[in-house]
Amino acid sequence: MVKNIPKSAATPLERTSRLLDLVPYISTHQGISLVDLAKVFEVSTNQMINDLTTLWMCGLPGYTPLELMDLDFESGFVTIRNATTLARPRSITHEEGVALVLGLDVLRSGISAERTDLIEAITSLSERIARLVNLPLALSASSDINLEVTTLVKEAISHRSGLQISYHSLYKDEISERAVLPLEMLESQGYSYLHAYCFTALDFRHFRIDRIKSAKSANVEKPSTTPPISPEKIVFAVKVVRPTRDVAERFQEPNLEAGTVFKSSSFSQHWISRSVLASGGAIELLTPAEIRSELAKNATMLLSRYEE
Amino acid sequence: MSRKSERLINLTIALLATKRFITKSEILKTVEGYEGSSESKDRMFERDKDDLRSLGIEIEVGTFDPLFNDEAGYRIKQERYQLDLGDVTPLEISLLSLAAQAWQGASLDDAAQRALVKLSSLGIAIDEANLPHSVPFLSDEGLDIPKITRAIAEHQILEFTYRNYDLSLESRRVVPIGLSARSGYWYLAGVDQSIEQVRTFRLDRVIGTFTVKKGPKKFETPENLDLENLFERVKNINAVIDVRRGKGTSLRALATSMKSIGEWDQVEIPIIDIKSLSALILWHGDDVYVHSPMELRQIIISSLKEISVTHG
Repeated sequence: MVKNIPKSAATPLERTSRLLDLVPYISTHQGISLVDLAKVFEVSTNQMINDLTTLWMCGLPGYTPLELMDLDFESGFVTIRNATTLARPRSITHEEGVALVLGLDVLRSGISAERTDLIEAITSLSERIARLVNLPLALSASSDINLEVTTLVKEAISHRSGLQISYHSLYKDEISERAVLPLEMLESQGYSYLHAYCFTALDFRHFRIDRIKSAKSANVEKPSTTPPISPEKIVFAVKVVRPTRDVAERFQEPNLEAGTVFKSSSFSQHWISRSVLASGGAIELLTPAEIRSELAKNATMLLSRYEE
Repeated sequence: MSRKSERLINLTIALLATKRFITKSEILKTVEGYEGSSESKDRMFERDKDDLRSLGIEIEVGTFDPLFNDEAGYRIKQERYQLDLGDVTPLEISLLSLAAQAWQGASLDDAAQRALVKLSSLGIAIDEANLPHSVPFLSDEGLDIPKITRAIAEHQILEFTYRNYDLSLESRRVVPIGLSARSGYWYLAGVDQSIEQVRTFRLDRVIGTFTVKKGPKKFETPENLDLENLFERVKNINAVIDVRRGKGTSLRALATSMKSIGEWDQVEIPIIDIKSLSALILWHGDDVYVHSPMELRQIIISSLKEISVTHG
C-alpha cells in the first residue's frame, strides 16, 4: 500500500474541489463501492468516509432533511439522492483543458491517416475543448512515434516474445534488420527507448522507439550467455574555433569560448567525425590523429565535387 | 477544517439554486456556517468568494433592479458552472482517456486525471473497440505549461533570457501566440516586442524562468498568420539535394518530394533554418550533394574549406 498515498493532508480548497466533483460522479455511478470510489479520487477509504459525511450535511438553505443531500454509504456501497443542484460535472479548468488538447494532439500524430473516423473525432473534440479554455488552435503536439510499433513492442514485452525490427542507426546512417527480445520501455530526456537483447549485436541494447521504422513478431531463441565483446570508448579532444550553440548542444559543453579545449568520449567513430563535419568549421578535432586526418581527406574530397 | 469545505459547498449550492441574485445579507443569514461578529462574517464571505473563483467557479455580481441603488447580489449560472461539450459519444470519451494517458509522469498528469473524473461523471460508457492500445507520451522536464498557455489566452508578455546561436544571452519580451511539442522539444511562437515580428523559440534554450507581465493594450494576432501551421515547414524556399540510395534517412524524413535518379535520389527539402539544415547535410558527408539554392551551396563549400584547412 505504498501507492495511493492518501491526500488527506490537502488544503480545504482541494477538498472542496473534490467534494464538488464527488456528487456528479456518484450520481452516474450509483452503488459504487467505497473502496473503488476512494481509488478514483486517490484518497484513503477513511478520507472518503470523511468526505461523504461532510457532503451528507450539505444542501439548500433551510437544511432540513428535505433540503439536504441524501447519501447512503453505511453498507460500503454509495448512493446519492436529492442532489440535483450539483449533479452535473463542473466545467474543466484552464489547466485541465490544456492537458486534454495537447494529449489529443499527440495522440492524433500517432494514429495512421487511414483512421479518418478517429482523426475526425479528435479534431472535433479538441476544437470544443480549446474553445472552453479560450485557446483556439494555439496548442499543438506531435510525436514521431509509430503507434503500431509501440503496440507491438508492448505486446512482445508482456508475452516475452521476440520481434524483428528494422532500425535506423543514426551514426552509421543505415537501416538494419535485427531480431530482438524486448525487455522494457524506458523514457529519458523526452524520448522513449526500448531496452532489448539484440541477436545481431549479441548484447543488450537501447533502441530509440522513433527510429524503429517497422516491427513484426518473430521467433527468437534464448539470449546467448557468451559475454559480448564490449566496444571501447574512443576519447577525443576538440578545440573551439568559434563558439556556437550548435556545438554547445551537440557535445553538451555549456561553457565555450574561442580557444577552449575539451575532451569527451564516444563508442562510435562515425559519431565523432560526423559531429565535427556538422559543426562546419566551428571546431577543430585535435585527437585521435587517425580520425583527424581522415576528416581532412574527406573534406577535401567533398569539396572537389563542388568545384568540378 | 471540514467546516470550511462544508460552508463552501453550501454557498455553491445556494448560489447555483437561486434564479435571482441573492444579497450578502441574505447569504449570511441563511447559508449554514457563517458565524461570529458581523465583520468576521463579512470577511469570511469575501474570502469564500475568492476561494470559489480560484477553483474556476464564476460568481456573477448584479442587482435586483438597476433603477434603484440596491445592495449587490450574487449567483452562479448553472450553464457556466457545468461542463458543456455538447453531445459526447462513447468513442470520444475513450479518446479523451487515451489523451490523458499521454501525461503519465509529466506535469499535467494530475490535471488530466481530474478532467477524466469529470468526463466519466457524464455517465457515458466507454467504447474501447478499435482504438490504439497506447499513446505517445508528453514530457515537459519541469516546464510551467499553464503559465505559458495562460499568457497566450490573455495576451500577456513573457520575459525570459534566451541563448542565441553565438551563445550570447539576450533578454526577450514576447507576446506568445502558440506552444508546440515536436521532435522531443517544446517550441514557443510569439511576437517579439522589440522587433514586432513573429519568432519561434526552443524552450530548452531559455535560461531560468519566465516572468509574466501585463500585455500591450491593443494586441492583435498578426495578420495572415496561419496558426495551425506556425511550427510547420511552410512558405519557404526548397533546397534541392541528391541523397545516395539507402542513405540519409533523417534527410528523407524532411523531404516534400523525391525522385529516383539512378544511384541517387533527388529530394526537395523546405528550408526553415538554413543553419540546422546545413549542419544536417554536412553530417551526412559524401552521401549528399547540394544543387540549390546558391546560399546553401556556399555555406557547405565554405564549411568544407574551413574543415579541410584546420585539419590539414
